[in-house]
Amino acid sequence: MNNSRHRNTFSQLEIRQVKKRNLQSWFLSMPSLIWLTAFFAVPYLIVIIYSLLVSDIYEVKFLFTLGAYREILSGAYFKPFFLSFRLALITTLFCIILGYPVAYLIARSSEKWKNILLVLIIIPFWTNFIIRIFSWRIFLSTNGMLNEALLSMGLINQPLEIIRTDWAVIIVMVYVYLPYMILPLYSVIEKLDFTLLDAAMDLGASERKAFFKVTLPLSREGIFAGSILVFIPALGAYIIPQLMGNQNSLYIGQIITYKIKNIPRNWPVASALSLIMLIIIAVILLTGFSIYQKRKFRRMDEAR
Amino acid sequence: MRRALEEIRIEHLTKSFDGFVAVNDVSLTIKPGELYSFLGPSGCGKTTLLRMIAGFETPLTGRILLGNQDITQLPPYKRQVNTIFQNYSLFPHMTVYENVAFALRIRKLPNPEIDARVREMLQLVKMEDQAAKYPNTISGGQKQRVAIARALINKPKVLLLDEPLAALDLKLRQHMLIELMNIHDAVGITFIYVTHDQSEAMSISDRVAVMNQGNIIQSGPPDDIYERPASIFSAYFIGDTNLIPAEVTSIEEDYVDLKCQAGGQDSFEIDSTFNIKPEVGQKLTVSLRPEKIAVSRTKPTELDDINVIKGVIEDILYLGTHTQYIVKVGNLKFRVFDQHKRVYFDEAALDWEEPVWLFWHDTDSWLIDEVTPAGLDVGEINVFERPIQMSRGGKRIPRSE
Repeated sequence: MNNSRHRNTFSQLEIRQVKKRNLQSWFLSMPSLIWLTAFFAVPYLIVIIYSLLVSDIYEVKFLFTLGAYREILSGAYFKPFFLSFRLALITTLFCIILGYPVAYLIARSSEKWKNILLVLIIIPFWTNFIIRIFSWRIFLSTNGMLNEALLSMGLINQPLEIIRTDWAVIIVMVYVYLPYMILPLYSVIEKLDFTLLDAAMDLGASERKAFFKVTLPLSREGIFAGSILVFIPALGAYIIPQLMGNQNSLYIGQIITYKIKNIPRNWPVASALSLIMLIIIAVILLTGFSIYQKRKFRRMDEAR
Repeated sequence: MRRALEEIRIEHLTKSFDGFVAVNDVSLTIKPGELYSFLGPSGCGKTTLLRMIAGFETPLTGRILLGNQDITQLPPYKRQVNTIFQNYSLFPHMTVYENVAFALRIRKLPNPEIDARVREMLQLVKMEDQAAKYPNTISGGQKQRVAIARALINKPKVLLLDEPLAALDLKLRQHMLIELMNIHDAVGITFIYVTHDQSEAMSISDRVAVMNQGNIIQSGPPDDIYERPASIFSAYFIGDTNLIPAEVTSIEEDYVDLKCQAGGQDSFEIDSTFNIKPEVGQKLTVSLRPEKIAVSRTKPTELDDINVIKGVIEDILYLGTHTQYIVKVGNLKFRVFDQHKRVYFDEAALDWEEPVWLFWHDTDSWLIDEVTPAGLDVGEINVFERPIQMSRGGKRIPRSE
């Protein structure tokens, strides 16, 4: 009997087993599929349809047009896009700079301290988000604690105007998103083999060089994961700029909200802005991921 | 690659961790170009000593001199000392080539020079064709070679090796041991080798320091330590030995009479030569290597300078190269290795429970000026928490009918 032919034909029993297995996996993934369809695919479909309609004072007219996209691509919304990207970048950068030492410290602590410190990182989540932001408003306000402390210490002569500036937005953004950077960084640094640092120093690298040549490259995965967790939500931030910022620098999240909230409502432009945002994020993510994968594969290819 | 070599002097080095004294007032001198081993059980302080020479630990007291330079307080990156770590510690994000080039890149040497030297080192360790691979894709033995190349490229004055072969399997270990010796010959620098494996230390070293509980118990060439152990610990830790508690009964012109308690009322008398100067009535310990004892069912006729005692075979372990007999003399158990050399004793195989004669030369009863801990049953009690080696790969031969 021809061996290869034999391999390619399935017996009735095998076919039945494969069918059964397929059925099982469909059945088991049904709840999440239904969930995703109802709360992800359908809403986005609605958003896509709305972005192609014509705006009316309160509602939309069911006339299909690319008007909303034309309006956006004409450059009218360049500034909020720019501001949002700048904000997301600065927030991510500060989170890395501030989060890395913290993650490193926790990762190198004893088992007992590790858990205590990790809980301390998570504790802020137990307090309501809005309350935390309002606390910052009080803290940073012209007559707030920060200014009073600085004034009484004689470090400044008149109160700093922090509240309602882009800096106030950045401060609170970094504060809110810092844990999302620390946790993935921690999980990578914790697995790091610290004898590699001994090896680097043994070979002539000072502490600083050993860090930049060994520790930092080996924690790249954590930086990558943390940056995604911070950058993407920061890009669409709405509440923090709304509560901490001013009306002269509106971020994309605020623009989208105003398009829906203010009369005349403009559902199509709001929808189109959301979709363009989504596409940009998807492109960034996919590019980042493919660079990352390529590097990994190249490493494996070279090894072969 | 040869250059002016410098000796290492370690003077009164002490290090403790949270009250635990890891290294206790250790002094020693390592000659230039020597292959020197620190040998001891885990926790004896050998790795701490090595890490102090490398610069990863700062001693509490004492100093380390490399030639005339006091390096005690220098950070590791300023010492002309390189280390091969136990798990190799190769950088996983760099290729073999970049791992080896690391030290030169840190020094910012020009690329052509780096390339030439990396190629030279990779050639020395026979890894030229693996240069582009990443560490997680090469075998343990290859990692070992890369670690050697990486540590040697900076032309250190001393190479430290921290249990470098511990992660390899037996055959590869034996092979790498020979390679290490060849590399030592080729580069000619001082090697300091840390291991808990006595056979590794014995075969590779010019000199060995036997360590226990932070102290150097004995140091010297391997054969010296094996043949002339100065303490119960060195006798027991290096190789196999029988430790017999004894008392000096008389001192003759060229030998010492000893009485050995064999439990209960039993005792027997043996002689030894003077490797120490004992007094009559002094209690001491005799170390008797199992391979120095002959075993036979016929009593030897030539009795000059020979100790002869009678025992009963309790156990026989066939180990291929030799057979190990456990022979009971009173309550003492003697371990005896007998090689299968028919030219010497052409007699039928000894059997369980068979009465036999044990005999050895006077000079092989080695006197140690220490008393064995009370109640030590030499054959069975494991004084230093080291598994007795008799069961290693041993296979019982079926009892002949």
